[in-house]
Amino acid sequence: MPLSFLDDFRRGDHVRALMNRLEKSAAALERPVRIMEVCGTHTMAISRHGIRQALPPNLKLISGPGCPVCVTANSDIDTFIEMALLPGVIATTFGDMLRVPGTRMGLAEARGRGARVQIVYSTLDALRLARENPESKIIFFGIGFETTAPTIAAAIAEASSSGLDNFLVLSAHKTVPRALTALCSTPELAVDAFLCPGHVTAMIGPHAYDAVVADYGLPCVIAGFEPADILQSLIMLCGQLAVGRAEVALQYTRGVRPDGNPTAMALLHQVFSPCDAEWRGLGVIPGSGLAIRDEFAAHDAARHFQVDAGYSHEPRGCLCGAILTGLKTPGECGLFGKACTPDHPVGPCMVSSEGTCAAYYLYETNDVL
Amino acid sequence: MCLAIPAKIVSIDNQRATVEVGGLTREASVVLLPDAGLGDYVLMHAGFAISLVDEDEALETIRLFEQLAGGSFLGEGPSETGLDGLSPGGTGLDGLSPAE
Amino acid sequence: MFLFLRLEITFMVSNSNNDRRILLAHGSGGRMTQELIEEVFGTAFANPFLDRMDDAASLDLTGRIAFTIDSHVVSPIFFPGGDIGRLSLTGTVNDLAMMGARPLYISAGFIIEEGLPFQDLQTIVSSMQQAAAEADVEVVAGDTKVVERGAADGIFITTSGVGSIPAGIQISASGARPGDAVIVSGTIGDHGAAIISRRGGMDFNVELTSDCAPLGGLVADMLAASSEIHALRDPTRGGVAATLNEIAAASGVDIEIGEDLIPFQGEVRAACELLGLDPLFLANEGKLVAFVAQADAARVLDAMRRHPLGADACIVGSVAAAERDHCRVFARTVLGSRRILSMPSGEQLPRIC
Repeated sequence: MPLSFLDDFRRGDHVRALMNRLEKSAAALERPVRIMEVCGTHTMAISRHGIRQALPPNLKLISGPGCPVCVTANSDIDTFIEMALLPGVIATTFGDMLRVPGTRMGLAEARGRGARVQIVYSTLDALRLARENPESKIIFFGIGFETTAPTIAAAIAEASSSGLDNFLVLSAHKTVPRALTALCSTPELAVDAFLCPGHVTAMIGPHAYDAVVADYGLPCVIAGFEPADILQSLIMLCGQLAVGRAEVALQYTRGVRPDGNPTAMALLHQVFSPCDAEWRGLGVIPGSGLAIRDEFAAHDAARHFQVDAGYSHEPRGCLCGAILTGLKTPGECGLFGKACTPDHPVGPCMVSSEGTCAAYYLYETNDVL
Repeated sequence: MCLAIPAKIVSIDNQRATVEVGGLTREASVVLLPDAGLGDYVLMHAGFAISLVDEDEALETIRLFEQLAGGSFLGEGPSETGLDGLSPGGTGLDGLSPAE
Repeated sequence: MFLFLRLEITFMVSNSNNDRRILLAHGSGGRMTQELIEEVFGTAFANPFLDRMDDAASLDLTGRIAFTIDSHVVSPIFFPGGDIGRLSLTGTVNDLAMMGARPLYISAGFIIEEGLPFQDLQTIVSSMQQAAAEADVEVVAGDTKVVERGAADGIFITTSGVGSIPAGIQISASGARPGDAVIVSGTIGDHGAAIISRRGGMDFNVELTSDCAPLGGLVADMLAASSEIHALRDPTRGGVAATLNEIAAASGVDIEIGEDLIPFQGEVRAACELLGLDPLFLANEGKLVAFVAQADAARVLDAMRRHPLGADACIVGSVAAAERDHCRVFARTVLGSRRILSMPSGEQLPRIC
């Protein structure tokens, strides 16, 4: 059975025709350009469909900080692990989180040491666990950007209204526009344009990138996730770059409404308020996190457990921050390939199997980048 | 950063829907998308419908690809095709849709 | 003695409720062990070797022998398309078949968590016997232990097996050669998708079914069609991606597959899209990957398609000399570019990004 609205965006004739057109568009550029794909799901799709290898030589895609698990700081992971090790706790989170290292260990290892860690597909599953295990505290590790945060907000609101007091959330959510402007304000940022995340934008709306265009003059195209979407978006970016224009444009017209999803954003703001957040590899970005509001304090694991993993520190010597902004290459990092490998990742670019460092490590520089 | 795939709503009861993807069905919450109705395509993320899939826009984009693949574009200049999404007016989100 | 008596009483009471459970006493080596063996295992697996109840089976074997072992800890123990019993039998049979051997005899060790419903054990053993009949092998030796609640997850089964390798057959993971065609015997990822969709919170209303099946017959048909089958492997844990990487490394070659050539079931693809999984990394329990001399590929493919377990077989790629000093597996993408297909890292879990 064909998958509606997926198969047509993967068809070989479509993507090859788009690649031909992209080659023409890139040929019109006066100099080589670097485009950052902000979103980790874009990075995955680009790798899976072999897009990077097929690009014209004057177009370079670099991977941005948009993999939410990869940028989760050691301190947040350590705190969650300490909570997971408490008696009577069932720790729940998304499968992506299991591999991400903390200061001493990651969740997979914590599970091996007796922590009850359960992988769920949805917060709805965590709510069900809370109902089925009234004697246990169910802690959900809230990770993700604006696409995911409203689903956690919905679960907190539901737990609150139905008196499900044993459902708690440790919020390590992050928001995209703040991180993008923080990136843009890096003086040496070597990026000419952004491929913006379609599903985050389905929530926050396309106008969220107005500041990137207005303040930094960098073109933004909001892209879908199939190969044809990504190629068309690159054509759109080349079009802007060729004529020296910078605007927010939408390729992912089928998935994104001009005002985003106001219901989801209202729920997000009802449950969370902005706070400073630490990003692995990037440090603290003011206002880029989401804290649970006082009205929902009963479901805030951070307040309930008061766990302090005093040993937490971010990995030393890791150059991911500079790699994410395109300033350094993995080979310039002293940890790369030694202390930091795909099986024992240190920084976010190695944590994600498709991150820049992991790609370098697995695919070798010459093949991919 | 966020995996979401198109799914069709095949039944809906208050905030709970059953959605279908390629012959599989699963429960989904439509609490974030109160306007979603029976027969709508929605983007599913972590068990929640997060956005309506605009079928007309999808078909329009596909039509654009088909024209390109079929070589029926006459002009070589990118702005003649609509494919590069450059808005003739020049600024901002007026030219949001490349199909326009 | 007192303890024994108490357990005995529990057993009797449970029995009257038709809710009999496996108790520690069933593994004590005493009378209840004897009852369990006779009632469950002896009845299901009855054959002249087992019926003697000797300490070991006495077998007549000549020529080259393939000998293997496989442990099974699958959770859940019942899944659409099979259960841990069927899986434990086919797992070992298939390992033997991948050497070109004719599977003959199986031994089985059962580690049972106390409290397992008696009925569950009977179902598991009976589907094991059913699979043994399909595979034309006999279970000739066995062992049972019962462990305290919490020390196992329902039941673990380890099987070992022997098979005889016909004269002239030289099949090995290190046998793939440049120029070989790569053939898969059918749709990929069915077992892994069935298991993952059955785990907590993943329930789909349409059931994905495991492909769990013994492949000895299919391999025999392939061997009859060609003497140029160089390597065979069943892509279980780690899926086709792991198998291709293992064969490439063992044989010292590069392998390239075409992504659009891999057969998938629609529902498996949908589940993978929904859960963010790559079907090439998902386990299969009734499929094989064959490396066959190009000249014989069509003939082998034809033989496979005539067998019910190979009806969807197709050529998915080819083997080339290694480009570098280490061996790699490439996937040709829809764009025509090629990407590295790496070994999967860690367990396959649903992801959101």
